[in-house]
Amino acid sequence: MTAKTVVALEGVEKAYGSVRALAGIDLGVIEGELLALLGPSGCGKTTTLNVIAGFAAPDRGRVLIDGADVTTRPAWQRGLGIVFQSYALFPHMTVAENVAFGLRERGVAPAEIAASVTEALALVRLPGVATLRPAQLSGGMQQRVALARALVIRPRVLLLDEPLAALDRKLRESMRAELKEIQRVVGITTIFVTHDQHEALGLADRIAVMNAGRIEQLGPPREVYERPATRFVADFIGASTLLEAHALDARTVEIGGGLRVDVRLPRPLVAGERVRLLIRPERVELGEGAGMLAARVSGVMYLGDHTEVQVELSSGVRLLATVRAAPPLGPGDPIGVRLPADAFLEIA
Amino acid sequence: MILLLPAVGVMVLLAVALAALLQFSVLEFIPGSLRTGGLTTRNLDAVLTPLYLRYIWDTVLLSALTTVLTLVASYPVAYALARSRSARVRSLLLVLTLAPFFTGAIVRTYAWMLVLGNTFIRWPVKLLFEPAGVLIGLVHFSMPTMILILAAAISHVDRTYERAAASLGARPRRVFWRVTLPLSMPGVASGSLVVFAWTFSAFPTPELLGGGRVKMIANVVKDLALDAFNWPGSAAFAAVALAVTFLLLAVVTRALVRTGGAAA
Repeated sequence: MTAKTVVALEGVEKAYGSVRALAGIDLGVIEGELLALLGPSGCGKTTTLNVIAGFAAPDRGRVLIDGADVTTRPAWQRGLGIVFQSYALFPHMTVAENVAFGLRERGVAPAEIAASVTEALALVRLPGVATLRPAQLSGGMQQRVALARALVIRPRVLLLDEPLAALDRKLRESMRAELKEIQRVVGITTIFVTHDQHEALGLADRIAVMNAGRIEQLGPPREVYERPATRFVADFIGASTLLEAHALDARTVEIGGGLRVDVRLPRPLVAGERVRLLIRPERVELGEGAGMLAARVSGVMYLGDHTEVQVELSSGVRLLATVRAAPPLGPGDPIGVRLPADAFLEIA
Repeated sequence: MILLLPAVGVMVLLAVALAALLQFSVLEFIPGSLRTGGLTTRNLDAVLTPLYLRYIWDTVLLSALTTVLTLVASYPVAYALARSRSARVRSLLLVLTLAPFFTGAIVRTYAWMLVLGNTFIRWPVKLLFEPAGVLIGLVHFSMPTMILILAAAISHVDRTYERAAASLGARPRRVFWRVTLPLSMPGVASGSLVVFAWTFSAFPTPELLGGGRVKMIANVVKDLALDAFNWPGSAAFAAVALAVTFLLLAVVTRALVRTGGAAA
């Protein structure tokens, strides 16, 4: 990539007491991109955000913004826009005063502040609330105010901490689309923290999957989903079934109970080696007919737009499959399973 | 319902005592006797004179000054108590704040007499038996309570607000003035109310540090009742002071609730 790196973390480590929150983070955020820090709670994603924002000082390593070392620069001199999970709108100020806060601190002229505040509230599609107090607004509106307050200072980078977590599901989905649109219009480099894989997959240009203070994989959503680098990534993003297999030749493996299947992996296998294979449930085909593996349904979960079917092969191996329709299946029903050769992924 | 009985009992008892006070205030004073004569307004006339109203004014002034000075002196300590990063500093401040509670008002006031009375330190201006000395004693007496109330309020200010202000470019001092202080106003309001109310009824501090030259309402009531044995006069003065207290508390409460309410 030849694009410009805006934020860079170099070997950042951070411990809280005996807890290692960050165990060596190297990360480059590219101009204009929307990068997600994705991981379970306690993985270090929020600490990473705090280190970038200047709220937490790393024990080791450097933070660079536009190539300048800002590791020891306090938060108020970093010029970043931050939207907090709780929004942190000042309760003793009106919406307009909240949005104007950063401009006032910069000594902008009052007339110019008024114009910028109006413009920022229009950008987040929230006109006519300027004189209200934050407590008088709904959660979704508060979030927009927080976004306007962060964007109005024209920050170099926008940091979002679990931006959608506090909203109910319906609102979350519409805000997700809107957030992406605003980010595209403003063209601002954005880093957001989330524990929600759908949010990360749907919103981000690139995802950094974090676990135990490290970045397990960094890449575009498709790559992370379709070619997970580690078992953790495979497990965390999307459902999947992990199979312990044993290679018979370059393209055939035996999975539990003497069952042979053809696989097509990027590399040829060596007869006798042990491999861990992963298969996504939407790649498992269910049906009847020749060439199908005999199996039995062990569980069915109807989820509206798709159905999750748990099947058990005659050899005892259990697999998870998803189908679009709602098949008339029940536990114990016999069913055929086909595992396409190109559906398997090898996991380290 | 049965659990309310003790409370009702106390209320009845206090109401009876208050009624007795009001009754005494309109009975004639017979010098040299605790017996009283017939109904009269002379007691009230006597305390509604510049001499006695002056004591009420002095009390208002001393209470207001005590409140303001206590607030200013306590806020930094409360801030450090709530926000110091060092646990050792926090526990040291807490111990120092709580220590006066274990000594009692009389002991503390006698200690102040020694300190203010040019015994160990020669002060450039006279402090003991002067309003300034009483003020110092009252502020010291009020600080621990004020500190605890303020520290509780400050520690309730979500630090995310301060982080948000910093991220928007506010330097630490501006964060304090624009965010932390306004959001701690409920504590400022309730602390000020408590200190004002109890200073208004202060007795031992002005009695000992005022040495009869600086008198607040409670001291005048005691002088009239126990030195002059003028119970009707004392009752009349107490009744007037009570009326002023209620009036003042209503005004002050309203003002402070507005300040605190704006932040909440």
